[in-house]
Amino acid sequence: MVAKTLRRFTFSALVLIGTVLWISALLLLAQTTQNSAQFARLQNWILLINAIGVAVFLILIAGSLFRLVRDYRQHIAGSRLKARMVAMFVVLAVVPLLLVYYFSVQFLNRGIDSWFRVEIEQALDDALSLSKTSLDITMQEYLTRTEGMAETLSNLRNRRLVSDNHDLVSELGLLRRESGAIEITLVGQNSRIIATSSDHPADVVPRPPTEEVLLQLRQGRPYVGLHPTAHGYDIHVAASVRTQSATAEQWILLGMFPVADRLATLADSVQTAYNEYGELAYLRGPLKYSFTLTLTLILLLSLLTAVYGAFFSARRLFQPIQNLVAGTQAVAKGDLDTRLPKASHDEMGFLVNSFNDMTRRLREAREQAGLSRQEVENERANLAIILARLSTGVVSLENDLRIRTANQAAGAILGVDLENRVGELLPDVAGGHALLTQFLEAWRAHSQAGDTDWREQIVLHGQVGRRVLMCACTSLPDEDGALSGSVVVFDDITALLQAQRDAAWGEVARRLAHEIKNPLTPIQLSAERMRKKYLGTMEREDAQVLERATHTIVQQVEAMKEMVNAFSDYARAPDMEFSHFDINQLVSEVADLYRAKEMGIQLSMNLDRNIPTIEADDRRIRQILHNLMRNALEAMDGREDSKVELVTRLKDEEDYLAVEILVVDNGPGFQMEIEQVFDPYVTSKPKGTGLGLAIVKKLVDEHGGRIDAENGEQGGARIRIILPVDETARTAMLPMASRRQEIRREQA
Amino acid sequence: MISAPKGRYGRLRLFMAQLLVAALVLFEASGFAQEEDGHFEVRSASAGLIGGVYYLNAQIEYRLSQAAMEALESGVALTIELQIDVGRVRRFMPDPEVASLRQRYQLQYHALSERFVVRNVNSGEQESFPSVASALAGLGDVRGLPVLDEALLDEGRRYRIRMRAGLDVEEFPGPMRLLIFWLDEWQLVSEWYEWLLRP
Repeated sequence: MVAKTLRRFTFSALVLIGTVLWISALLLLAQTTQNSAQFARLQNWILLINAIGVAVFLILIAGSLFRLVRDYRQHIAGSRLKARMVAMFVVLAVVPLLLVYYFSVQFLNRGIDSWFRVEIEQALDDALSLSKTSLDITMQEYLTRTEGMAETLSNLRNRRLVSDNHDLVSELGLLRRESGAIEITLVGQNSRIIATSSDHPADVVPRPPTEEVLLQLRQGRPYVGLHPTAHGYDIHVAASVRTQSATAEQWILLGMFPVADRLATLADSVQTAYNEYGELAYLRGPLKYSFTLTLTLILLLSLLTAVYGAFFSARRLFQPIQNLVAGTQAVAKGDLDTRLPKASHDEMGFLVNSFNDMTRRLREAREQAGLSRQEVENERANLAIILARLSTGVVSLENDLRIRTANQAAGAILGVDLENRVGELLPDVAGGHALLTQFLEAWRAHSQAGDTDWREQIVLHGQVGRRVLMCACTSLPDEDGALSGSVVVFDDITALLQAQRDAAWGEVARRLAHEIKNPLTPIQLSAERMRKKYLGTMEREDAQVLERATHTIVQQVEAMKEMVNAFSDYARAPDMEFSHFDINQLVSEVADLYRAKEMGIQLSMNLDRNIPTIEADDRRIRQILHNLMRNALEAMDGREDSKVELVTRLKDEEDYLAVEILVVDNGPGFQMEIEQVFDPYVTSKPKGTGLGLAIVKKLVDEHGGRIDAENGEQGGARIRIILPVDETARTAMLPMASRRQEIRREQA
Repeated sequence: MISAPKGRYGRLRLFMAQLLVAALVLFEASGFAQEEDGHFEVRSASAGLIGGVYYLNAQIEYRLSQAAMEALESGVALTIELQIDVGRVRRFMPDPEVASLRQRYQLQYHALSERFVVRNVNSGEQESFPSVASALAGLGDVRGLPVLDEALLDEGRRYRIRMRAGLDVEEFPGPMRLLIFWLDEWQLVSEWYEWLLRP
């Protein structure tokens, strides 16, 4: 942010400096063209300002050009259009400038040339010649006078009329006044001043003749020359003073004459004009050069300004467009935080504001959607947790029977791990799984009947026995209200029903025991007393009748007592005493009791010696075995070649150890529904109370085990008991029988 | 064998090389590289004490360049400046300046008299000569130019006097100064001539 501000400030400063320099240079040039002296004074400043301005603009243009080329090569959006526009601007600006420049230079050169005309030059030459001629006349006059004075002095010298210096000075003074000279001086050998006479003897020191004068005199010619002075002109004349003696010293007479003021003024005016014109003519070339150079610099500055203006305008014009393109690309990539810098207040600014507003709204919408999705995800997670913890099976299906969701309980109830088969078709998953197949058939039956919402108790038959499920199905509408699938919620109420039956039977047994057992003893005692009291007093025949009747009563009362005791056993509360013991030994001890020949059965055992000691209530287990043995014996009552086989096996399941006890006989088998075998008062035997297997099942359940019964393929009954070897195994097996167990305990 | 550089940048380099050669040729053809033909030199100089004032006597050779001669003959006045500096010599410190004198002469052709006028700008005195050579000779013969009051000098100390002569381009007409700035032939200035003075 700071760097950007600094860069913008530097850029603005450079532009400001360039503009000020440019305008300053133009103003200076405009002023100096009016005043050559001022131009001379300011020219260097003009050049300096322009040079700085050119440098500034060159830097700016170089930077802009570099950026443009870089953008062009990187194919940045808008760069090609910008390059084209810059080229167009440059051409539009440069061509008129060059035209103006060309004609300005032409005009400048011709204008300066027009100052110098042949006629003026000729006139000045003529004026100078005229002045010279006029002065020449005066100079000749003074030469003549000087030569006359020299002749006079020569005569005086030859006639020895001047004997000493004093006479010469007097004579020179006389001659000077006669000739009108300012000063005359007589010079001897080696520039020795012999005598002099002057208008201002105190002010002027006579000067010896110059080499120029001497040279001319040696050539035998007198000297006359116009000498410019600080105040005007003097005419210097020199002439030799002849002598007749060859050995006499050579004298030179020097005269200095004034030029008339009028003539001097006019001549000076001509001289000044001539000189100035000559100087101006000489300066014509440099003047053209200077003006052309200055104009070129101004043009260069204007040109660079125009070129930079082209870059600047193009950038200002295209920057918002490039920003928009970049912003659009960023939004397309999902970056909704893009904010474009605010542009001007024109239509482009409106567009930029609209874009920023759009991205802001999009971002808000996305954030809202994200929040909603997060909430949905949370709900789904919660639902998944709830579903996972539910003991109720939940399966949701698509219309094409594809599994959408399924919880763990559903898999446990139906015997298939549905939770990991989500996304697959339910018929495919059901292949080979009897429970699931029957479940699917039930669902299809309702589906084909057009039932979308239904509730039914269905019974499934599998290898593990009979399962009763309470199913409730509800259709799932999609957003449009159409059916997108259905969800089936089901509970395994097998154990519940069983428990209900068990509880009911327990109550019956308890009441029976309570209501029947009490009057049995008085009945028996009354019958025995009756027999004892009246047997001896009665006739033989009556006595026999009494004997049989009381015997029957006592016998039946005993039978009823047994039955009531059995009911008591069934209805009693569980009071288990767990201990470790060898199951094989227990099985052997029980078997030994039934090996007696009078039993009339062939008893065989197949015991697994790898079975460890198990933790159970040995008395109950013994009771279980007795009941089973008795049940088998009663079932085979009167049959020859009755066989009973006792088998123990160690079941090494995945996460627990269990003992399997099989009691197999070759009797008639179960003559009723297998599912009702363990219900009280369900028996196909001529003897028995019908509580034997019911009590067995109850005891097995209390041990956390499982019991099932089936008829053998070649006849006979086959009862299988699976008992956990310890508490750990019991806990592991509990989920399978937990509900049964819990319900039973609650009932108890 | 030299092969022409290929590609866009190769052509650019070739163009730049050609541009450089062209610029050098133009530079040679123009007056920028013209050999210097003018020369100013202080041949000898001395200062003598007369009546409590040091007077400078010097012999300076002035030889004008062709361009300066043309300007002079066209009526442009040339200004020649003598710079005379007097400083006290110190061993470990910069020499402080005691006195400084700028003596300027203006040389101009007088068309009417066909003579070259030398004017002492400082005093206003002027003298004319029949030729440039005599005028330059007259300019170069500096005699009795008072430069320093004896009172400004401390007895026993050493002083350094140095002088040089040069063409003063500041006095030229404006358009010329722009040219003179770039042209060596107008850069006429002698080397410093130094000598020691012991009061």
